[in-house]
Amino acid sequence: MNRRRMRLVVAAVCASAALAMSGCGASPSAGADRQTLQLWFWGAPPQQQQTMQKVLVDGFNNSQSKYTLEVTYNNAVDKNIQVALSADKGPDVVYGSGPAFASAYAAQGKLEDMTPYAKKYGWADRILAPMYESGTVNGKLYSLPNSIEDIGVFYNKKVLAKLGLAVPKTYADFVGAMDKAAAAGMYSSVTGDQGWKPVNQNYVSLFMSQIAGGKTMYNALQGKIPWTDPSIVKSVEDSAAFYQKGYLGGKDYATLNFDQSVQLLSQEKSPFFIGPTLAFQFASNYFNDAKGNTDDLGYMPFPTVNPDLPSPYFTLGTTASLSINAASKNKDGAAEVIDYMMSDSFAKDMNKSWPGYWAVPLKNFDLNADDYTGLSKPFVTAMKNTIQGVNDGNYGFFAGTFFPPATATAFSDVDSVWLGQTSATQFLSTIDSTFKTEKAQGLVPPVPEPKH
Amino acid sequence: MLTIAEGQRVRTDSVAPPRGSLFRRRNAISYLLIAPALVLSIVIVVIPGILTLLLAFTNWSGIGLNIKLVGLQNFQDILADPVFATSLMNNLKWLVLFLTIPAIIGLITATLLLKRKRMRTLYQVIYLMPYVLAPVVNALIWMSIIYNPNGGVVGALGLPAPTASTSGSLYAAAGVDMWHFWGFLTVVYLGAMRQTPIDQVEAAIVDGANGWKVFRHVYLPSIRPTLLLMGVMTVIFSFLAFDYVFLLTQGGPAHSSEVMGTYAYAFAFSSFEFGKAAAVGLIMSFFGLLASCLYTWISRRDLK
Repeated sequence: MNRRRMRLVVAAVCASAALAMSGCGASPSAGADRQTLQLWFWGAPPQQQQTMQKVLVDGFNNSQSKYTLEVTYNNAVDKNIQVALSADKGPDVVYGSGPAFASAYAAQGKLEDMTPYAKKYGWADRILAPMYESGTVNGKLYSLPNSIEDIGVFYNKKVLAKLGLAVPKTYADFVGAMDKAAAAGMYSSVTGDQGWKPVNQNYVSLFMSQIAGGKTMYNALQGKIPWTDPSIVKSVEDSAAFYQKGYLGGKDYATLNFDQSVQLLSQEKSPFFIGPTLAFQFASNYFNDAKGNTDDLGYMPFPTVNPDLPSPYFTLGTTASLSINAASKNKDGAAEVIDYMMSDSFAKDMNKSWPGYWAVPLKNFDLNADDYTGLSKPFVTAMKNTIQGVNDGNYGFFAGTFFPPATATAFSDVDSVWLGQTSATQFLSTIDSTFKTEKAQGLVPPVPEPKH
Repeated sequence: MLTIAEGQRVRTDSVAPPRGSLFRRRNAISYLLIAPALVLSIVIVVIPGILTLLLAFTNWSGIGLNIKLVGLQNFQDILADPVFATSLMNNLKWLVLFLTIPAIIGLITATLLLKRKRMRTLYQVIYLMPYVLAPVVNALIWMSIIYNPNGGVVGALGLPAPTASTSGSLYAAAGVDMWHFWGFLTVVYLGAMRQTPIDQVEAAIVDGANGWKVFRHVYLPSIRPTLLLMGVMTVIFSFLAFDYVFLLTQGGPAHSSEVMGTYAYAFAFSSFEFGKAAAVGLIMSFFGLLASCLYTWISRRDLK
């Protein structure tokens, strides 16, 4: 290689190194004097990303002149955040699976104590007390839920009319309607855990809430009673009986997911889809004004199973949680983003085109269903009812939100009971042992006490 | 007069390695050339390997540095868990399936292709296609076109989806993986068979050997090292099985298709129990190590 070529190679290597290093530097300023804030979010569909860009990103960036928010979408967001936080890296605003996961990060010092920001912005006064409390660890706030959810029943009015049925009011009516649908060659109801096993947590949480009740679950979470308590054993056994009768997607439970289930509901293959309210976001793909079938879809809380519990009775959960990365260089900015998301105006704008994911847990969820069109209308109504139920203390708990991580994961294995591989007692003995270990490690998030 | 031995010694002396600065410089260049591969191996394989070994004896959550030594507790917990036994058994079933079905299909197809002069390349490209596609693409194709009860082949035939049954889910996932794998084996076996000395084949035919005897006594011994290598790689891959099971069944329903890979993944990324995940990882590696040792032993024995 001659000298000239050598110089050329050295220059190229230096230029490449400089270019690479410029990419590894501290978070760049997006504009003059503006600091960049990062939020990693799940891989939402393009239409919902547009809503996110318009309402959150543009809305926040235009609301102040100090920060520029950037949102990155990825379906493996939970895993990416776990790896990044363990290396003291990652986004400024930490999007997580719920308060239970946030408490695991908080226990390792990976999340910033948000209590000073809560005082500054008055979050405790604005946010539903049970939701606020669920994000605390030893009295300090580490996460806030972006949205509450309930596990209920979506129904197709057209199918019910075809079957000559009214919208069920009681559990007996509901079961009777599912039997009639099965006799007519339809699915009793549609749902499934294909591609996401934690879906099982929805149904075991639903039955524990509806049969054992929130108060019993609360006592188990406090360690006052074991998870093998007879009322919890009965809940799991009843969930198994429900599954075995084909009321959860029949024999196709393992091959359906929420999106396919809602599609089948729109194709009139079943009168019901049992699932969390976040499924409104999938429903809008199949029930919309363009197809002229928006009004065919209805939603109702799951009919109360245990007559000793009030009706309606809710299975309270959250879709995700928001925290501040302890390693963030812009913690104040991250808090400002979270505050922006905990507002009435943000909830109003997001719900206009993205129903299902943004029932911001405000004490005064002052959204008027009449102001909305499409599926945003029934979603806003459903959420107002759920918030009323939370204020009345009529709720049980969704495992994925309120149980510590290993316990919640263990509850995903409830299909072993449903398929007769193990007994409810054996299954709950394993849960009890896992839970005790996590409780000793301080991983159980504080949960609000229900009235019933 | 120099004897042959002396002559050889003289020749040997004449090509003795250079000494002094030239030798040192050559040595330095050699080390410099292997350095990138060595550093990469140390950083990507050796260090994580050692860390996994150490973490298997801790309660590390995968976040932060709060680590406590727990001795053999992780291994005791895993061995007491019936799901681990199911996973191990499923890995063994996976191994038996992959050592037989794709290997046999691959050998038959390679033998048939060997006699086909025209279009052979095209067939190889077609057979290799599933292998070059990403697992997620293959899994989606099978989930939506074959195993889908609403609009898929299974639904059209009125059959239950195999991924939904506890007795069929493992085989449903293994079936897709084998479908993507056998074409690769065909190409490898065909390549090996084409290296068989043609005079041996012709001699066997002249001696009156039929097609089966030519395959059994000429081709098979000739491709034995390739068969052995592919066999060992299959053993290693079988204990590392993860992608198709995770994509198609997530190890379910009711752990019926759980393999050690998915079992470890759930510990690491759902339960925050990296210590246990590392312990499962070590057990997986142990079986791979056994296969590697067996391969080395057989290879050495063949050289004797």
